[in-house]
Amino acid sequence: MNPLPPVDVEPHPWRGLAWLTRRECHRVLKLWKQTILAPVISSLLFMVVFGLSLGDSIAEVNGFEYRVFIVPGLIAMAMAQSAYSNNSSTIFQARNDRYLDDILSAPMSAWQVHLGYLAGGAMRSLIIGVVLAALALPITGAPLEQPLALLLSVLLLIGGFGALGIIVGIYAQSWDNQSFINNIVILPLIFLGGVFYSVNRLGSPWEQISHLNPLFYVVEAMRYGFLGAADVSPWLSLGVVGAITIALLAWAQILFATGHRLKP
Amino acid sequence: MSSPATSPPALSISGLTKRYADGTLALEDLDLEIPAGSFFGLLGPNGAGKTTLIGAVCNLIRLSGGEIQIFGRPGTGMAARRMIGIAEQEPNLDKFLTVYETLLYHGGYYGMDRSEASERAEQMIDAFDLRAKRDVEAPKLSGGMRRRLLLARALLHRPRLVILDEPTAGVDLELRHELWRYIRALHEQGTTILLTTHYLEEAEALCDEIALISGGRIVARDSAEGLKRTYGVDTLEEVYLRTVAGGRIALDVMEEVE
Repeated sequence: MNPLPPVDVEPHPWRGLAWLTRRECHRVLKLWKQTILAPVISSLLFMVVFGLSLGDSIAEVNGFEYRVFIVPGLIAMAMAQSAYSNNSSTIFQARNDRYLDDILSAPMSAWQVHLGYLAGGAMRSLIIGVVLAALALPITGAPLEQPLALLLSVLLLIGGFGALGIIVGIYAQSWDNQSFINNIVILPLIFLGGVFYSVNRLGSPWEQISHLNPLFYVVEAMRYGFLGAADVSPWLSLGVVGAITIALLAWAQILFATGHRLKP
Repeated sequence: MSSPATSPPALSISGLTKRYADGTLALEDLDLEIPAGSFFGLLGPNGAGKTTLIGAVCNLIRLSGGEIQIFGRPGTGMAARRMIGIAEQEPNLDKFLTVYETLLYHGGYYGMDRSEASERAEQMIDAFDLRAKRDVEAPKLSGGMRRRLLLARALLHRPRLVILDEPTAGVDLELRHELWRYIRALHEQGTTILLTTHYLEEAEALCDEIALISGGRIVARDSAEGLKRTYGVDTLEEVYLRTVAGGRIALDVMEEVE
């Protein structure tokens, strides 16, 4: 077949973003056992073991049955880890195998590439959150008291942890680096952020120290959305989570705009 | 599209400098202009700056200084990027996509709608004899098939300037001639080609004009015949050895071998 002559057209302003978004979602769905099924099962196991099996032997927490109390934190933990690990691994893999070059050389602006890479983690995190909520709410009887606050906290959680994943994926030198951040930073901070207990029950100074943990506010914002009650004001939780999310999104955007560590 | 005579240069580079973080000066105040519609060869030894130069043109490295224009448009702009197609030296294919999807998504990244990108992907699959591998993922392709796919991807959005970084490295003779035929036909259709290669006979056979790069600077530039005439030698290999590979010492070694 003879080649066609070149064409001279202005690039479509947002079509590249739509296709990158689609590619990222395609990757999530193609690896669904690993990206969706595994985190859903592990979160459900937490609910079964801690909530349903041990829950009856634990007194109510802040007026809620224990099995109900832990649901928002477990959903927050699964969603945060998914948004983070999805974006860190997809960016690192694209950098490592150099197929990121096909994106960087395409007529897409930095914010479009940023948004496209956020999309995969966002979709994965949302699917996991919806599936877990659909299973956990009927089983445990957990309510959904403040849907708007929940929606806002979910958006901030997805944006913040998605951006953190992008940043780590850009800086990572090896696969170990990104799992290190997940296992040594995110997971412990979420556990210590009150997923399984109310920090108000901790004595001083542990209660005050817990308030320095940014992940505490993520858990509290989600808990307020589901249960309508939390250890701190929802405005404080959403404010702290919002400020952290904006800072992380700005950092990721600077990396895409300058090409720092993406381009030699 | 304007004719080559009236069109601005396909590529215009002035004062291009690239110093890497480790202090390596890969390109030093490099100027280069490639006319629209030409078939231009860039030759030089490993580490001369060829891949860095290509990376700079394709928005894949951060410049330390200088300016790039593509057909008169700023090199960092979206319009300029739309006009370039690049097949890199190393096969850098998305491991989650099949042959067809690789081409389809590439078309999307370059602003094509689904039906246009799909139709074009099927055309390129036929043009590069990839039909039997259409639904195979990139990591499962042989080296030659990957090379075909890289070229198909570079050409999918019908760019005005095609950059081929050692497109025939490691491919068998049959495929090399097949690729030459296609690239020649592409050039005849009006596409400007920038080719880097280590095969001097390839550059001589294909290119209207050749530049030799060494130490991050263009050290000679002319047609293959013009270069031979200027340096008073019979082959492009002798020009290469004299200009970029150690001058007289390298020529002496070659004469001893002969």
